[in-house]
Amino acid sequence: MKTYQEIVGELIAVIHALTPEVKALDENTELIGNLGLDSMKVMNLIQEVEDRFDVSIPLNVLPDVRTIGDLALKIHLLLQSHDSAR
Amino acid sequence: MGAQATPTENTLPLRRADFSTLAEALDYAALGQTGCNFYTGRGELIAVLSYAELRRQALDLARQLASFRLPRESRVALVAATSPDFICFFFACQYAGLVPVPLPIPFSLGSHQAYVRQLRALLQSCRPSLAMAPEDYASFLTEAVAGLDIKYFGTADDFRRLPSAKVEPVPLQPHELAYLQYTSGSTRFPRGVMIKQAAVMDNLAGIAQYGVDLRPGDRAVSWLPFYHDMGLVGLMLTPVASQVSVDYLATQEFAMRPRQWLALISKNKATISFGPPFGYELCQRRLRPGEAAKFDLSSWRVAGVGAEMIRTESLREFARALAPAGFREEAFLPCYGMAECSLAVTFAPLGQGLKVDRVDAERLATEARAVSPAAGSRESEFVDCGRLLPGFELKILDVEGREVAERQIGVVHLRGPSVMSGYFEDPNSTREVLSKEGWLNTGDLGYRVGDRLYLTGREKDLIIVNGRNIWPQDLEYLAQQQPEVRPGDALAFGVPGPDGSDLTVIVVQCRETDEAKRADLITRIRSRVQAEIGVDCLVELVPLHTLPRTSSGKLSRSKARQNFIATHNLAQSRSHQERRAAV
Repeated sequence: MKTYQEIVGELIAVIHALTPEVKALDENTELIGNLGLDSMKVMNLIQEVEDRFDVSIPLNVLPDVRTIGDLALKIHLLLQSHDSAR
Repeated sequence: MGAQATPTENTLPLRRADFSTLAEALDYAALGQTGCNFYTGRGELIAVLSYAELRRQALDLARQLASFRLPRESRVALVAATSPDFICFFFACQYAGLVPVPLPIPFSLGSHQAYVRQLRALLQSCRPSLAMAPEDYASFLTEAVAGLDIKYFGTADDFRRLPSAKVEPVPLQPHELAYLQYTSGSTRFPRGVMIKQAAVMDNLAGIAQYGVDLRPGDRAVSWLPFYHDMGLVGLMLTPVASQVSVDYLATQEFAMRPRQWLALISKNKATISFGPPFGYELCQRRLRPGEAAKFDLSSWRVAGVGAEMIRTESLREFARALAPAGFREEAFLPCYGMAECSLAVTFAPLGQGLKVDRVDAERLATEARAVSPAAGSRESEFVDCGRLLPGFELKILDVEGREVAERQIGVVHLRGPSVMSGYFEDPNSTREVLSKEGWLNTGDLGYRVGDRLYLTGREKDLIIVNGRNIWPQDLEYLAQQQPEVRPGDALAFGVPGPDGSDLTVIVVQCRETDEAKRADLITRIRSRVQAEIGVDCLVELVPLHTLPRTSSGKLSRSKARQNFIATHNLAQSRSHQERRAAV
């Protein structure tokens, strides 16, 4: 079971690969405000996240995700509910 | 996995949308074996809804909706996820004499508040008696309806638990509305296009009989949203009215995994699919090297292209990249339409593919005429969007309202049985676009050659990004929400992007001189626009009192746009043809 901090670390690696020009990334980085990801890049990111963490991200959570930390928290919760379902 | 997708071949003689109402069309389709199928982005079949089962469920639901004893043509708002429930509710309304209003689902990151505001504005515009949202979006609906006068709202299952009416409801009749469509208004001042049964049935018949010439063996695939006219009318209602099986992929799943579109066509040997140009481009960009040959697109006879200005480069690239999969460029079917005409207005002839007209760019700019290029002059190219569907009349008018000659550019006006009755409870907006004689001013610019229509741009300020209509007023409003920006300090417009889509630009007058604060303002505007409207935009700060005005002193978007294009050298990047021709 991954910790929240581990998920943040992996997310930063994924996002860094998508936007190599941005150097400083942390859990408070806003995906749109700071990184300027357009909606297509966001969907690309979600797909990478799904494949990497082997989860299915319900799309109704996206309106409540602003920062890398928000997304990490959603993934963390999804992984937890996966584990408890097993 | 026990479920099997509905078959392509039907046991029923094909009837090509020759019905008088949508309910009657479903009554017939339900006698056969075809239906719709829902797939995940990973290609799993998650739901199958035969038209027989759709009719059963819609009739049951119609009795439950009837228990509210609402006046006929009362509106029912439906948050339109790509799901069997949406289609069941849409047809339940048809049987119950109620008018469905498909509403969007949220797409963007961080858009929670913006989406709730948008939903609320739409609900205030269509004033529904009932509202349904799928489980996943129910909480947004609950927030949006707070304080509004709505009789009942809930999830699909909430509605299914209601008591049924004792009396059999009477379906919507040909002179009554079929649905309201909200694709063509601004976010803050939405306009609901009213489409009558007779109008949509006329358009469906045109699409099925002339546009795509439906035949036995046809099967459709769609990832277009149900709240968009092409997704709703073209890929949901046309299949029902022609008893064609269709395979659905949710729009967001497509955006995440676009190659699944090709996988679905390959798997079920689909023959018909539509999309805006950017959909094809997205798909092609995500193709992996050597992967094309793994798909089999040889069955794909109609690859419809519409919803925005068609530029040929990215489509030709798509065709080249997927030639190893058996895709034929002649399968491209350019078409033109809008929600105000139900959906379709013109289609290119089947099998023609992308036929372009090369014209002299200088004379186009100076005389608004589309004529063959003189030797050595720059060229522009426009795609043949084909002929009018039967029933439509076309007039192309100049600024004084006079009809223009062939190859002269003017504003496209249309009249015919598929045209809307008006905007819902909005007589002013209706009067602006619809004349007493029934002529619709489309705001699109174009010219004709013989019976062919070519579109060249827009008279109205509308911006189109990835097939979505965006109103500059909404963008300007968002910019002006920033504390340092005042009303009249922002102008928004679209400039031609490389693929036919617009690039969105906001020019903002700004007093601030501190570089860090200026950068911060740009970031705030961009993220607000991204969250509220879901598009990326370019924000340019200019000194005070520099936004251009018309001779009567009004701010001029079109002048700002021209200035922007001139100062950023964008005219050159309009198309490679032009650049090559200029060299």
